[in-house]
Amino acid sequence: MSMPSEGKEKTPQKPEEMTPVSRRDFFNEIAGCALAIAGIGATVVTVEYSSPNVLFEPPTTFRAGSVDDYPVNSVTYLQDQQVYIVRTEKELWAMSSVCTHLGCITQWKPESNQIACPCHGSKFERDGKVQAGPAPRPLPHFSVRLAADGALVVDKLEIVEETEILRV
Amino acid sequence: MSEKNSYEVGFSSDAMKEPRRIVFITRNTSAKVKGDVGPQLMSYPHVILREGIVFQILTIVLVALALFWDAPLEQLANPLLTPNPAKAPWYFLGLQELLHYFPPIVAGVLIPTLVVVALMVIPYFGVNIQGEPLWGRSRRTRLQIFLGVFVTLFVFLAIYQAWTVLVPSVLVAALAFVPYFQPSGTSRFVRYLMSRTLPWWVMTWFIAVALTLTTVGTFFRGPGWSWVWPWR
Amino acid sequence: MATTVWTQRLLEQITKARVWRSIFRHGPARTNRTRSLAVFGNLSLHILPVKVREKSLAVRATYYLGSISFFLFVVLTVTGILLMLYYHPAVPDAYRDMKDLVYVVANGTFLRNVHRLAAQAMVLAVFWHMFHVFYRGGYKPPHEFNWVVGVGLLLVTLFLSYTGYLLPWDQLAFWAITVGTNIIGYVPLLGRPIRFLLLGGHIIGQNALLRFYVLHCVILPLAAVVLIAEHFWRIQKDGGLTVRDDNEREE
Repeated sequence: MSMPSEGKEKTPQKPEEMTPVSRRDFFNEIAGCALAIAGIGATVVTVEYSSPNVLFEPPTTFRAGSVDDYPVNSVTYLQDQQVYIVRTEKELWAMSSVCTHLGCITQWKPESNQIACPCHGSKFERDGKVQAGPAPRPLPHFSVRLAADGALVVDKLEIVEETEILRV
Repeated sequence: MSEKNSYEVGFSSDAMKEPRRIVFITRNTSAKVKGDVGPQLMSYPHVILREGIVFQILTIVLVALALFWDAPLEQLANPLLTPNPAKAPWYFLGLQELLHYFPPIVAGVLIPTLVVVALMVIPYFGVNIQGEPLWGRSRRTRLQIFLGVFVTLFVFLAIYQAWTVLVPSVLVAALAFVPYFQPSGTSRFVRYLMSRTLPWWVMTWFIAVALTLTTVGTFFRGPGWSWVWPWR
Repeated sequence: MATTVWTQRLLEQITKARVWRSIFRHGPARTNRTRSLAVFGNLSLHILPVKVREKSLAVRATYYLGSISFFLFVVLTVTGILLMLYYHPAVPDAYRDMKDLVYVVANGTFLRNVHRLAAQAMVLAVFWHMFHVFYRGGYKPPHEFNWVVGVGLLLVTLFLSYTGYLLPWDQLAFWAITVGTNIIGYVPLLGRPIRFLLLGGHIIGQNALLRFYVLHCVILPLAAVVLIAEHFWRIQKDGGLTVRDDNEREE
């Protein structure tokens, strides 16, 4: 397998010299690496292809009317956007209605002053804190801003702390 | 004869004089004994025709049931309105019931992954070829280990109040204890339990828990995943 | 089998013709040799062994659960292909097509019922088959790898059933899939990217329906066929089905 000249190198005195590789093994290794690169490349290309770049989903920033549209001490459910607008005497915030457990849509129950999830019985308070059930986190608050013309603008992609509220 | 004539062909019946190689055993192997395969039949016609019959019976049963049992079709999907309760297909209802007790990462990811891995590993993990029963040897140590595992599981489940898992576990464990306390099997049932192996008990426990979870999830859970009695 | 002389002669002429003999090469399977060739020389049948142990054919040996699972898969494929003729995997159309199938299309309700029934039955049969193989020890050496292939088939079956569940696009379908994909989102590290790829986005909408449709009708059935073939092949190569002997130990 090795050439006569390489055979002479096979008797080195220094043990740290590398053992010579035959041409066949060398080309086999190169070919194997090339196949591996091709395989990994094909997988990456396929996964990137499967991940859509443009999504046709409803817009996440929307106008929610003005502050006066919401009575004091009320919880209003905006059905199209799946958002609660909660107004107390001095504050207003926008909250997601998607239960943090497994994604079912919760419902506001005024008679028990609770937001309840029908799937596994999670219960939340008006400010989103978990009162009962398997929900791991409170309902997230979305950012609410006042536009120049006095309209409320809610951005569902921007999640804010519960302490960030609109003072009205 | 064999002493006089050294040119005789054939073996002497005296193995000491003419040893013959019977079995050649390589190191680290045991002699393989191939059991008798038993009577065999030709695939055609015996297998093919039987499979044909099974297929026909299956088709008849399916057609008969399909004529009377309609598949459900509810209202159009409404992303804004969650039905109450929102239930998964029946084979996942056991999982959904488990989700009621444990956080989603445990009941939804960890436990199913462990179950699948455990299933795959079954044939490679200490396969009990001889079928040695659970209480076959070293009964006291086994009892200690068994009690230790059982009590840990019991406490863990009670902490999470996972009664649906606890009750079938207790029942199966009780059955497993029966042959320990009654080694001289009186009835056929006790003798049957006595001969069961550890893998058998583990699988039976698993099936009992899965069946209970699925049954509860199907019939005993109503709006808000609250407990309902199915006959109400 | 023909009774009159005339039909007998006609059949003889046909079966001796060159065209016939070019297709059916071995003649009627009446000797053990031609019976062997009928299985061994057949494209679809040669996955079976030529001979089997008599004990494995008893109903009580396997309850034919594996065969039942396979035949249910065949029924699902046939009814599924027929249902595909009327189903558009798009958001407003899908539900409308379901109503179409149920109320308008001739035998539509029947085909849909068979498909759904066979799907539930297949999940049941596959689970039962697995438990029965376990209890009779069919996973012990040399059948270990076949058991793992079987677990893979179980997962493919469950996933097939799950992807099919979304296709009617009714309330039952939508919310069952919502819960399921949210669970997938809980897998650490990879959960959310997998969920994104599965749904083709963040919500269950147009893209999700199409992807579930492709998974249900193309990708998963192909995976199932490959695994089923390997499953049958391994039984032949590992020495046939395991049966219990009279001492209740498996052979």
